[in-house]
Amino acid sequence: MKPAPFDYVVPETAEEAVSCLQKYEDDGIEATVLAGGQSFVPLLNMRMARPDVVVDLRKLKTLKYIREEDGVIAIGAMTTKREVEESELIQQRQPLFHASTLEIGHLQIRSRGTVGGSMAQADPAAEYPAVALALGMEMKILGTDGERIVPADEFFITYLTTEIDSTELLTEVRVPVLAEGTGWSFQELARRHGDFAIVGGAVTLRLDGGVCTDPHIVLFGVGATPVRMTAAESAISGQAPSAELFAQAGEQGAAELESPMADVHASAEYRRHLAKVIIKRCLLEATERAGGSVS
Amino acid sequence: MTAKIPQKLEDLPSSEPRWVGKDVKRIEDPKLVTGLADFIENLQMPGMLHCAILRSPHPHALIKSVDASEALKHPGVSAVLTGEDVLKWTNPAMTVPDGWGVYCLATDKARFVGEPVAAVAAISRSVAEDALELIEVEYEPLPAVADAKKALEEGAPLIFEDKGSNVIHKRLFTWGEVDQAFADADHVISDSFRWNRLGANPTETFGVVSQWDLLENSVTCRGAFQSSSHFALGRAATFGLPSNRVRIISHPHGGSFGGKGGARGTDIAALLSRKADGRPVKWIEDRMEYLIAGGGQSWDRFYEASLAVNADGTMTGFKVKLLDDIGATGEGFGAISAAKPLAVFTGNYTIGAAQYDMTLVATNRLPQSPYRGMGPPPHYFVLESLVDSAARQLGMDVSEIRRKNYIQPDQFPYIIPSGNEYDSGNYEACLDKVLDMADYQALREEQAKAQEAGRLVGISVVNAIEPGVFDWNAYSAVGMPGVGVPEGVTISVDVMGSITVRVGFSLEGQGQYTLAAQLLADYFGVEMDQIRVVHADTASAPPHFGPGGSRLGVALTGAILGAAKKLEDKFLAVAAGLMQTEAANMEMVDGWLRIKGVPDAEMPMAAVAGTMLARSDLLPPGMEPCPEATSVWTAPGRAEPDEEGRCKSYLTAANACHVIMVEVDRDTGMVEILKYFVVDDCGTRLNPGNVEGMLHGAIAQGIGAALLEEYVYDENAQPLVSTFMDYLMPTINDVPDTQSAAMVTPSPFSPLGAKGCGENAIHLTPAGIICAINDALAPLGVAAKEIPASPNRLWELIQSADYPQDK
Amino acid sequence: MSTKKRISLSVNGKLLEGEAEPRTSLADFLRDDLALIGTHIGCEHGVCGACTIMMDGQAVRSCLTLAVQAEGTELMTVEGLLDENHQLHPIQEAFIEEHGLQCGFCTPGFLMSTFELLEKNPSPSDDDIKEALGGNLCRCTGYQSIIKSVRLAAQKLQSANTAS
Repeated sequence: MKPAPFDYVVPETAEEAVSCLQKYEDDGIEATVLAGGQSFVPLLNMRMARPDVVVDLRKLKTLKYIREEDGVIAIGAMTTKREVEESELIQQRQPLFHASTLEIGHLQIRSRGTVGGSMAQADPAAEYPAVALALGMEMKILGTDGERIVPADEFFITYLTTEIDSTELLTEVRVPVLAEGTGWSFQELARRHGDFAIVGGAVTLRLDGGVCTDPHIVLFGVGATPVRMTAAESAISGQAPSAELFAQAGEQGAAELESPMADVHASAEYRRHLAKVIIKRCLLEATERAGGSVS
Repeated sequence: MTAKIPQKLEDLPSSEPRWVGKDVKRIEDPKLVTGLADFIENLQMPGMLHCAILRSPHPHALIKSVDASEALKHPGVSAVLTGEDVLKWTNPAMTVPDGWGVYCLATDKARFVGEPVAAVAAISRSVAEDALELIEVEYEPLPAVADAKKALEEGAPLIFEDKGSNVIHKRLFTWGEVDQAFADADHVISDSFRWNRLGANPTETFGVVSQWDLLENSVTCRGAFQSSSHFALGRAATFGLPSNRVRIISHPHGGSFGGKGGARGTDIAALLSRKADGRPVKWIEDRMEYLIAGGGQSWDRFYEASLAVNADGTMTGFKVKLLDDIGATGEGFGAISAAKPLAVFTGNYTIGAAQYDMTLVATNRLPQSPYRGMGPPPHYFVLESLVDSAARQLGMDVSEIRRKNYIQPDQFPYIIPSGNEYDSGNYEACLDKVLDMADYQALREEQAKAQEAGRLVGISVVNAIEPGVFDWNAYSAVGMPGVGVPEGVTISVDVMGSITVRVGFSLEGQGQYTLAAQLLADYFGVEMDQIRVVHADTASAPPHFGPGGSRLGVALTGAILGAAKKLEDKFLAVAAGLMQTEAANMEMVDGWLRIKGVPDAEMPMAAVAGTMLARSDLLPPGMEPCPEATSVWTAPGRAEPDEEGRCKSYLTAANACHVIMVEVDRDTGMVEILKYFVVDDCGTRLNPGNVEGMLHGAIAQGIGAALLEEYVYDENAQPLVSTFMDYLMPTINDVPDTQSAAMVTPSPFSPLGAKGCGENAIHLTPAGIICAINDALAPLGVAAKEIPASPNRLWELIQSADYPQDK
Repeated sequence: MSTKKRISLSVNGKLLEGEAEPRTSLADFLRDDLALIGTHIGCEHGVCGACTIMMDGQAVRSCLTLAVQAEGTELMTVEGLLDENHQLHPIQEAFIEEHGLQCGFCTPGFLMSTFELLEKNPSPSDDDIKEALGGNLCRCTGYQSIIKSVRLAAQKLQSANTAS
């Protein structure tokens, strides 16, 4: 279980990394970017990933930061999950993002796994892509032609595939702070603590005049990308929160899923059922956090 | 002649035992906590090559050709092994039952996914894996047999064509008037059960360094071997070598639990060494190899079973029909797991008649291997589930139906219908103790309240016998020959009086080296750290088997005490000569040889040993200058089985009772273990902390079995589990805080009254968790009959219930 | 392709240099090139935790780190727990006293995870212990003795600190 051979370069700057990638692309050499490696190195070990060259970003210390700018928390792509977990700024200003971080693998994985790495890996069962979608994050991507910003809902294309081109680099993840009064929930149903979720949910909502407004309901672990549950969202918009309403939203959400994944842990039908359960549970918790009560 | 050895702690030649029976620190541990133990992966040898194995991606396929020419040209590659080589140099593996073995590389066809097809030896593992990619194999896929039921279908593809059938073994045992018992019973409780494959998964996989001596034509294998002498015989048969031309040197293991495997890897590495001019070849199994094709898959069973019960709860008959998928070959000795339940067939109960109808079949799944418990865990899952069903039908409490049927203390030794003899026990006292510890009535009240609130909370009370100290006769039901399992040690005292004991097994985790040191330190009145315990390989060890079948603690105690007694007798003779008296007037206490009743007429054991080695002029006539003794122990009173397979097989019968409370999440089918209580009676506890550790470890494995672990195959016999993302073992978050207590009913038959003690919890925990789940589900009118009770399965059950869903 | 790279790093307080192919894992590099065999390899895909070491003050999986990524880092392995007189660390003593190991193969990983926990949280609750050790698999002990070992280690370290 040893990787196939590959070459290895360590650019000093993000710009150098991008020009490396461009050069490899031009020369027809398959290059893969390495951040923390916690998802990628297993694939190397199993020879499921076989790049010609690995471009290691470890020297890009300038991409390690967490700072708030105008209501947005900007997080450098090379920031580790441990740094997010230990950030008071994130704990206070974006508790949903913080809570989701604690569910990622185990501590030893979070020591090295990076925020940018998770987003770029786009594992459909992973936490961060779902949270990105629920919170409307933005991805800052650097190419040889300069930077561009891609919203989360355009970023995740399919299983392990994002909007990042093979010559580009994700440099920053931009997370809106959680607005005052927003209720949120992040929950997973997994076989064991620390496992990838069979189904997970990330939810935000607000209560205005006793009714649910601006709900964001995202599920993960169910399809090729995290999924925004728009029918479930419409079902509760403008409605007074109740257990019955949320159960209905769950039903609608579950019905909305096209073809949930099936694997050794869960059949498609069981996943569809858990989707229902998690939507309801997340909505109940988010309502409570928004200061509401459920009849 | 066997030496007369102490049967009780008080019989030790010690005024007050300081080590045996005490919770002592293990002598194994300093090297383990520093990472300095010599696990096989640490071993480097001059000129050593590294092996990687090419494996079949097909569950069943003819091998049309293997072209390794490119691999052989790859820089860094020294040798490539293919089917042609093994046909030339080896024999198919020995199996039980006989005749279901294949060569270490597939030659004519591949019979399971992961079966070795070719192998490379190169300068590094990475390069060896690179070279595997250059080997071209042409396969012609055949239809596969995916599971045991399909193996029996008319026209099913045959795994071994020459056998004409996929049935490896079929036998019907009838013990007592079982049909009459069922005809006379007030109730017959019948059900079907399914136990899916799971297995050992020690944290260290198997590893080996094999070397072929081309001049001597002999093989030396160093590795994580559980039973090295046995393994040596297997290699000799495979290689067609005299048995003394195979030397097995066992290294410490990072766990085994019976499922270390490794025969094929050892053979492949040895043959690569033969091709590579005798350079040593190392093969370290990686985790994916272990999960797909290693020694870690056990018990793949379909059951149909019935219990005959009278209206008062008396159980009178038990019938079991077993269909077990042994996998593609018999090489892993998986069949013996189907035979072991004979030793405890009717559990703790006085059930008078029983029947066992066993069918073992071959499929295109991985060959089964042993796993801790070796077969009874699924059997108890069936028996204890039926006992609970009977209680439910009769309106009895699950603890009371058990109490009613217990073998009573005055009935021991007790022979069960399937022939084994239980040595001793007090099952009712054990039950009462655990019910008291759990505050059972309060638990039931708590459950009632939870149920009123709509929660699915359940409680189980289960018990089992752990058969301890196996004998080969236990497995005669599947064709294993032989009676007696020798375990020997050699104790040497040097001229300075230092004591060294040589044993034939290596560290595996059960603390047996510590046990040897405890026993000898008390026997000779020295500190434990003055005893050195060393591993002797098969070229120098006395006859031995090593760990397995819950035996080594007892067997080692017998061997150590036997050798110590022989040594004591020699010392007494020498000291008597020195003190000018008769040996009969002498005694040894706390390591001092003294004349009985004469104060100060004494000398230390070290002085006697020194005299033996350095002053031959002072020895009694005929006494050899040899302060050394070997003793080989085997359980007394064993014999060949009768025509219905009945025999005294396991020497000791430990007992335990577990009380478990669980909650099933109605929405998700996920199970939480709320409370866990255990009382365990394994006789004298020689190192109580160690025994307790084994108990908790086995509970964790039982939890894994009940809820998490499963090797899933698809309908074409493709394994779907190849990583630890899919094979789920309990983590620190999955094991509840367990309250446990000991009872001690010493065995009247074993040295110091100790019983086999490492397995009882894995016998019981799966049954106990399922019974608790079924108690929780009882209000819905459904019950789990398949292991593991995964959330997906329990959710389906809850769905199937005729009950309002969204309560 | 795949030429060896020079790697310099600090391990257990010593500056060391070696060479490795880019594909070599840090676990293999430590074991095969630096002869630090106490770091064990159990799964090579980041689940079992046997290969856990400390890197720049945090517990990490050395099987999921390439050796070349460790250039310039400060590592600590189980070998670093012994003091200069080869005396056991209080965490090691605690694991022995509470039977926190049986076969001992997973133990170096548990010790490293425990080391980080107790560095940052000298008196952890049982939940803290479970969180910190949730990524280390043990197949022998059933974990209860490990929890006890960590509790005892915390006590030992605290009384050592009070004493000094």
